[in-house]
Amino acid sequence: MLTRDRIGALLLLAFSIFYGVRTLYIPLLPFQAEAAFTARSMPWALSVLGVVLSLVLLVRRGTGARVEAAGFQWRRAAVLCALMVAYGLTVRPAGFLISTSLFLIGGFVILGERRIWLILAASIPIVVFFWVLMTQFLGVFIEAWPEFLKG
Amino acid sequence: MLDGILTGLSTAASPINLLMVAVGCFVGTFIGMLPGLGPISAIALMIPITYGFDPATGLILMAGVYYGAIFGGSTSSILINAPGVAGTVATAFDGYPMARKGMAGKALAIAAYSSFSGGTIAAVFLLIAAPSLAVVSLAFQSTDYFALMVLGLTAVAAFAGKGNVVKALLMTVLGLMLSTVGTDQTQGVQRFTLGMMDLTDGVSFLLLAMATFALSEALMSVLRPKSDADRARELEAQKNLGSMKLGKEEVKEMVPVIGRSSVLGFFIGVLPGAGATIASFLAYGMEQRLAGAEKGALFGQGSVRGLAAPETANNAACSGSFVPLLTLGIPGSGTTAIMLGALISYGIQPGPRLFVDNPSVFWAVIISMYIGNVILLILNLPLIPYIARILAIPSTILVPMIVFFSLIGVYFVSFNTFDIHLMVIFAVAAVALRLLDFPMAPMLLGFILGGMMEENLRRALIINDDSWSFLWERPLTFSILLIAALTLVVPMVAPVVGRALARRREAAGEGG
Repeated sequence: MLTRDRIGALLLLAFSIFYGVRTLYIPLLPFQAEAAFTARSMPWALSVLGVVLSLVLLVRRGTGARVEAAGFQWRRAAVLCALMVAYGLTVRPAGFLISTSLFLIGGFVILGERRIWLILAASIPIVVFFWVLMTQFLGVFIEAWPEFLKG
Repeated sequence: MLDGILTGLSTAASPINLLMVAVGCFVGTFIGMLPGLGPISAIALMIPITYGFDPATGLILMAGVYYGAIFGGSTSSILINAPGVAGTVATAFDGYPMARKGMAGKALAIAAYSSFSGGTIAAVFLLIAAPSLAVVSLAFQSTDYFALMVLGLTAVAAFAGKGNVVKALLMTVLGLMLSTVGTDQTQGVQRFTLGMMDLTDGVSFLLLAMATFALSEALMSVLRPKSDADRARELEAQKNLGSMKLGKEEVKEMVPVIGRSSVLGFFIGVLPGAGATIASFLAYGMEQRLAGAEKGALFGQGSVRGLAAPETANNAACSGSFVPLLTLGIPGSGTTAIMLGALISYGIQPGPRLFVDNPSVFWAVIISMYIGNVILLILNLPLIPYIARILAIPSTILVPMIVFFSLIGVYFVSFNTFDIHLMVIFAVAAVALRLLDFPMAPMLLGFILGGMMEENLRRALIINDDSWSFLWERPLTFSILLIAALTLVVPMVAPVVGRALARRREAAGEGG
């Protein structure tokens, strides 16, 4: 039966095996080959430990609890993740003020906010305030506008 | 020691540091009150801001945020039965029933006085214990440090609770694995970078902390939105707090509880891996037994003792958890692990040398704990009715804000957009693991201790001519490793032995 514990164990078993395989790709200098401890030593030990613990979790008699995901808003969470990725892609080319304002507005709308005054009041002034705080008071340079808008 | 106290006092009492304690307590209370966001998220959110300050000021701010977040967590436990942190779960047992009886103000006042007393008493212990332990730990070698880190990691797993030891251990190993990504510190070779330049410096601890705590919590709240009934309850709770005055009888009942719970909380906090959660549950259980049949029966229905005990103990444990951090450089909890990471990024190596090399940081943090506790009491308590209004902010606004501050906090440190994408990947993985009931704190602790552990082990091997014999030949190292093994094995074996003994007794009973 695929319980919560077993799904987690399988995922971490796969990760540990992948990690173990990647350990073979760590380059070793010729004189290090005979050393007691190399750059591969700890990753090897961790990989073995990860596989052993995952197998213990897989075969032991656990609580039998299943994943409870009924009524979850998967789509909403996925769209929010996509928005974060889009923010990462646009924060540099579009500048901080535009990209962040759009990110916050998008986030509010995705989560179901429909009051336009609240959406605008909670995004643009906060973004401008944050930008002023960081650049003028904390000395962190942040590009405010996209390249084509700069004079 | 007097010189140190005076140094600490002059640093902590400078106007900027006083301001930082106050801001830290206030912001911590604010964030800690949000269900799901605890001290780890609160401190992680503050770290990018602290990079502009000197280390003492940064650490003082984070310490303020720590207490504030614990106090804020108590507030949401009492008002809406939604503990912001695991350490305040026991607070809800009696705090929430009290609030239901219309005595929310009184419950908040008891929580505040208990937190203050617990924090202050424990800070006195810290003042005495930390320098003494720091002097002793100057004799520690790489081998001992390696053993201590093993102990810290196994203790976190061992205290994970029934049935979760293997999961906590797996998460610790996962954290250790992630710590190996990047350029190997000694040999300069790249490990697990998958050919990506952005991973050459490894994964930043701030990125991992933000993604696995703040961001994953935000995603969880999107996945599982609150019901209308819950929202209505939150709005109602922040409107009607009632009086905050305590009667003589209540004070009389609280005093001995505070004394006992402070001592218990501090010593539990000192143990690596134990922390505020275990301290609060132990104090609650202890007081319930000590209260006797009549008063013990009131526990869970709004008992003053039942509220004062966990509140005192969790704050005392917070102070206690600074002992291993400041003296050995080993974090006792997820929160102090974050602070350790921040200290390292300031260029300060916590440990016994901290006491010698950076006395102003060492003492200022200890002194700031007193100041933080006073500020929590005189500033936060009267402001609670106003701070509680944060519960009225709709999640449609709050969640994107938390996401924004998490992303931008990491981005402003590296100015690398790759970090934003990596955060999304880690946050999604963390949500999956949380849904599967895997704890995140051991992973973070493993991640932070991983690099140090490998470095100490490597150094120990070089000193010992590539021989592993130091593990059993050096008495101190061997003793610590033995304790680590016992910490791990005893909780696993104890139930099996218990069941076997019970069966034998049963069989003997039937036979006789």
